[in-house]
Amino acid sequence: NPNAVTTIDDAALYTKAVRSLFLETTDLSASRFAGHYGHYFVAGSTARIPDQYGDGFDNNYNAMFDGLYGGAIRHIEEVLTITSSPKTQNPVRNAMANVIAVLAYAKATDAYGDIPYTQGGKGKTENIVHPSYDTQESIYKDLIARLTSSISILQGADAALGYPNSEPIFNNDMEKWVRFANSVRLRLAMRIRFADNALSKATVAQCLTAPLMETNDHNAFIIQTEGTGNAWFNNRTGFPSIKMSVRLIDQLQGSADPRLSVFVSKNSNGTYSGMVNGLDDTAFGASNFADKSDIGIPLSSPNSKIYLISAAETWLFRAEAALVYDEDAVVANQMYRQGIKTALGQWEIDASDIETFMGSAVASLSGVNNEEQIGTQLWLAVIPNYFEGWTQIRRTGYPVIEQRTADNLSQGVTNGVLPTRFLYSSFELNSNYVNVSAAIANQGPNRIDTPVWWDKN
Amino acid sequence: QTSISGTVLEKDSDLPLLGVSVLVKGTTTGTTSDFSGNYSLNNVAEDAILEFSYLGFKTLEVPVTGQVIINVRLEEDGQKLDEVVVTALNIERDKESLGYSISQVDATQVNVVRENNVMNSLNGKVSGLQVTQSNTGVDGSSRIVLRGITTISGNNRPLVVIDGIPIDNGGGGTGQGGGVDRGDALSDINPDDVASISVLKGAGASAAYGSLGINGVILITTKTGNKRPGIGVSLSSTFMFTDIMLTPNFQNEYGTGFFNDFAPINADGKPVLDYPFSWSWGPRLEGQSYTNWLGQTDSYSPQGNPYKDFYQTGYSIANTVAFEGRSDKTSFRMSITDEDIQGIVSNNTLGKQTFNIRGRSQLTDKFSIDGKMTFITSKVENRPDLAEGNGNTALQLSLMPRDIRLTDVRNNTINAQGQEIKWNLDNTFNNPYWALNHLRNTDNRDRFQGLLAIDWKMFKNFSLTARTGMDYRVFDYTSHGARGAQSIKSGLGEYSHNNGKSRIWNSDMLASYKAEIGGFKLTASVGAMHRDEAFNNQYINGFDSKVRDFYNISNYKNSFSSESITKKAITSYYALGQFQWGGYLYFDTSLRNDNSSALPKDNNSYWYHSENLSFLFSRAFGLNPKFISKGKLRASHAIVGNDTGAYRTQAFYNVDQTVTLPYTVASIPGSLPSFDLRPETSKSWEIGADLGFFNNRLMLDFTYFETNTKDQIQAVPISGASGFETVVVNAGNIKNNGIEVQLNAVPVETDNFQWNLGVNFTKNNSFVASLNEGLSSIELGRLWSVSVEARPGEEFGGLYGNDFKRDNFGRKLITDNGLTQRGERILLGNINPDWFGGISNTFRFKNLSLSTLISVQQGGEFYSYGRAYRTYFGTDKRSLVGRENGIIEDGINENTGFKNEVAAPAFLKQFTDIFSNEVSKDQVLDASNVKVREVTLTYSFPQTILRDTFIQSASLSAIGRNLFFLYNAAGDIDPEAGYSSGPTGTAFEHSSLPSTRSYGLNLKLNF
Repeated sequence: NPNAVTTIDDAALYTKAVRSLFLETTDLSASRFAGHYGHYFVAGSTARIPDQYGDGFDNNYNAMFDGLYGGAIRHIEEVLTITSSPKTQNPVRNAMANVIAVLAYAKATDAYGDIPYTQGGKGKTENIVHPSYDTQESIYKDLIARLTSSISILQGADAALGYPNSEPIFNNDMEKWVRFANSVRLRLAMRIRFADNALSKATVAQCLTAPLMETNDHNAFIIQTEGTGNAWFNNRTGFPSIKMSVRLIDQLQGSADPRLSVFVSKNSNGTYSGMVNGLDDTAFGASNFADKSDIGIPLSSPNSKIYLISAAETWLFRAEAALVYDEDAVVANQMYRQGIKTALGQWEIDASDIETFMGSAVASLSGVNNEEQIGTQLWLAVIPNYFEGWTQIRRTGYPVIEQRTADNLSQGVTNGVLPTRFLYSSFELNSNYVNVSAAIANQGPNRIDTPVWWDKN
Repeated sequence: QTSISGTVLEKDSDLPLLGVSVLVKGTTTGTTSDFSGNYSLNNVAEDAILEFSYLGFKTLEVPVTGQVIINVRLEEDGQKLDEVVVTALNIERDKESLGYSISQVDATQVNVVRENNVMNSLNGKVSGLQVTQSNTGVDGSSRIVLRGITTISGNNRPLVVIDGIPIDNGGGGTGQGGGVDRGDALSDINPDDVASISVLKGAGASAAYGSLGINGVILITTKTGNKRPGIGVSLSSTFMFTDIMLTPNFQNEYGTGFFNDFAPINADGKPVLDYPFSWSWGPRLEGQSYTNWLGQTDSYSPQGNPYKDFYQTGYSIANTVAFEGRSDKTSFRMSITDEDIQGIVSNNTLGKQTFNIRGRSQLTDKFSIDGKMTFITSKVENRPDLAEGNGNTALQLSLMPRDIRLTDVRNNTINAQGQEIKWNLDNTFNNPYWALNHLRNTDNRDRFQGLLAIDWKMFKNFSLTARTGMDYRVFDYTSHGARGAQSIKSGLGEYSHNNGKSRIWNSDMLASYKAEIGGFKLTASVGAMHRDEAFNNQYINGFDSKVRDFYNISNYKNSFSSESITKKAITSYYALGQFQWGGYLYFDTSLRNDNSSALPKDNNSYWYHSENLSFLFSRAFGLNPKFISKGKLRASHAIVGNDTGAYRTQAFYNVDQTVTLPYTVASIPGSLPSFDLRPETSKSWEIGADLGFFNNRLMLDFTYFETNTKDQIQAVPISGASGFETVVVNAGNIKNNGIEVQLNAVPVETDNFQWNLGVNFTKNNSFVASLNEGLSSIELGRLWSVSVEARPGEEFGGLYGNDFKRDNFGRKLITDNGLTQRGERILLGNINPDWFGGISNTFRFKNLSLSTLISVQQGGEFYSYGRAYRTYFGTDKRSLVGRENGIIEDGINENTGFKNEVAAPAFLKQFTDIFSNEVSKDQVLDASNVKVREVTLTYSFPQTILRDTFIQSASLSAIGRNLFFLYNAAGDIDPEAGYSSGPTGTAFEHSSLPSTRSYGLNLKLNF
């Protein structure tokens, strides 16, 4: 076959996996689903249908499922095999690949709940074409264990053994890699706070013994320079356009948050005007959608950054941990303020505006609704990783997304309650019936309002 | 013993016939007639019988009985009493000796009613053959299926062989996302050069072609020029108009807006053009004053059928001049054809020139050569974008609100900033005139076919033929979309250029030995064939133009390129045997071994065989020809293997095309390879009878067949959680059976008047016996929410889609809002017709003849997303239901259990059912239809008029094609109007171009 090669350096597959992982933060899961569920925006025309809490999106559910497994997972599994095979083994590369694999599987299980994990993505490496499913509980435990072992390898690792010249996130900087892997571990530890409190607490303690992401220099981002550039650029300028949610605008405006002009553009009248999420067709028709505010320019320029995880998010996790595990409100407040400051810094807000905002009430924990404050700031800090935003809401219940009861809002198939997962598609049911049926029996009905294991709020 | 000489003339014209075989019956002594039709034979026994035979003429036997001069006139074999047909490996055979079903179509049936794609002319004429012409602009492709679909993932297209050389028979069409139909390889066959077409339906007939012939074979023989009397110039001229036959039914009562209201007006004075205000759910059109989409005050009135004004009457002109000549030993034919077509889309044109040179020479008594060169050059401009493509003008027009004036659309395509102007913000739907002017493509194709064949009668009874031929194609496609339309790379503009070449080279050799022992005749042959396929292709693509209206890759800021090379070779060896006993019992057998480079080394050699039996009981029992003039029973059995495409047995990595990255990115293909593929096998048998009654005034051919294709090589879908989409395996078993009947009758025959009637009937069943283990379905195609699937235990080609949600009694469950809900995914139909056929009539009165062809299809379903789209956009006539008072769904309230009495607004119902809930129950339509395919009225100028001119013969025909439906179950949608010519191409219709009819004149002159 003259069109392709039969052997390749695993670096080229590693870059593919990493890039896939980043690009998956802008895929359908965000633009059609999580962006709506997280009440960040409303997509135009018929792309907004998931905002009505329906579940008739078999093709999309399938595309996202196949996209996750066929993107980062397909390629990182091969890297894991290559880097652990006797002739080509490389523990540093293997550890880095493990961190990427953990993020890829974490997103898949956060989206669907129980998924094929131990047998997942092994079509080529182990000839498994009908993989069995694992419980989310067992997956999370293993993901945390994998991170722990990767972090110990990466600490003090020889960078030359990594991916010099072909490492898209940190240009192979091992110190940043340790912070990154450890911060991911912290995210996962906090994720299971309500489902396995003991493991969560123990893991958080472990995380605090190693370096974490602290400044915006440590953020895991890339700039998509290939093709038409940043996907949100196309969503702003193309069709169907997205208009920012009144929920987001109210939050930012209500707290005089300087990120308003970063996240939201003014409309043609020069004002910020948000879209209400969940309008039924009649109300949507009358909503003057075209004149609502677009997504902000800094989020949606061709060279805008897309993120996997940030220092701001990490600080806010630490604040939450300090609050609930150490019961130390003072430290929690310090971390909370550090998180907000870092989050504002991430968007290059003027120092004076940061100063002003840090002086406002929202920038300090009030002692009354600390968890809600942290949850709300997490919701803002993860932008533009909208999938993470929806996931935070599911985990903590903050910000509170009320059940939809108004006459002009669509209740969908959940009776107006925020959806909690994606469906297994009919394609998966057709091609892997026995295994997916077992997962449904274990997890609960294949519905969009069946909570995943860690979702106790 | 005596010497005999004489002249052989054609009966009607008294013109000499060259090359007539004159044989002393029962011996091998014989000669052929020369240029003047003269022959002479020495040492003939006085009681001998001379046999004069000539292809296409009735064989004449004349007892010598002491004569020394025997002049004969041969009569053209109108009814083909002893029909000679071309069979596999270009062997000419008596039709009666064949144990399988074969249909032959004459030149006149394809070159009077001339079609750009010769295959379309076979539609309705041959039992077992289903030809569906897509509605995809000039030079579009056609779906061709012989005896039903046998393989799940293969292309199922029959092999096409021209003068013994198998050519590229690839298909065309596009997918649901849009694109253009680049035509299929068969549209390059010039109808004016065709002498005859044989259709080999079953594996028994095509086994000699091995795996290539697994889907049947269409054998085309081109004219050689050895039969024409006169000075040898012939001219054929066709001029046809093409106009719109069928368009969707639009409503004319409601225009732009939403919920019976106008759209709000923006600050810029224009109405809000976003969904849903750009749909046709506004107020009633009553001529009232309103602000139109351009922001002008206008009168709100219906604007008629936009298709009628946007599309124009097309035409096609085809002229062929052929020169033919001959000498004692040599004959030749040279022809040139020029064809120009103007489609119904104003910028869609075709220009094609075909040069053809064919020569044959009898170098010595024993050695002859045959050579051919065909060169075809064609250029197609602006193949129309189809389906959901953003350049599909039919989609744009069909969804345009009913109050928008087409002249406004035409006069407002581009603003001062160079941006497209349109009435909506939806990316998919461009302004059709913008699309016409700024989304363009050009296809250039050159094709060369060469052939050289030798025939060497080495010894008595032993001959050798060898043939080599090439089909070489070069293509060069460019397309561009201008800057300024959101749908074209976010307004940046796009350009692509694709070129490549394909070469298929076939060489074969056959050695035959004939023997006769008593009444037992035997022909034994051994042969070998080598086929070599090579394809390569380079593609460059760029977007973000630097300068306007300049289409060259250098003008684009981002560019990508790719190339691919595909090579495959098959070497085959075969043996054939023909046995004949007593002139009434024939037995054929063939054995073939293929070696394919596409299969793993351990499995790459595979065998086939076939056995065919023919018994002429009318001859064996000496039946009275006045009653039973022909009686033949036949039976055939064959096993055929098949290989697969290149490079499916190897794991590999693709290197990604990146422009900005400082590192290399590689990816793993989504289909897992298989390392132990075996060839597919297809077993088939057929039985049949050919019967003639009343001196063959009534003839009936009947065939029943069964085919079973196992171990199909296909990429089966696997769980996406494996990280991969498909794995290539040997799996799947499809069983086909069917009945084919062909009836020909001459109900009336007098000197001046003759009526010929032909009826053919085909019934096929394809049944999926099994798929890969654990796999409950394979999706073969999808449009929106409807898929064509193969499911084990079901008919092949089921259409699956969502039903409404129902209770146990089948009643629809309605919400409190009066809306239906999405229910189970169920079988909604099947793409295969219950049966299909054709009825042809020819009436000849003196020099005037009238032919008609009517095609019939009963059953089969297709999904019209075009209609679904128009219905929820509110432009379709069906969207009028319940506009004022809403629609009360027939069903029960899901909460109360009582009959639903809540009226849902019509818009909400249509949008929710079709779009939100993806319920497709009501959009799957019956494809049954009866269509008048061809009407031809021909006047042949009588010889009495032409006698004193230099014109040998002349005829003028008035012709019409695809004139109208006598019956169409789908009403305003043409069931053949698909966008793909793939195996499941008839399943889906999506906003196709309007169906057309064509009519015109054909003039034929021979000098």
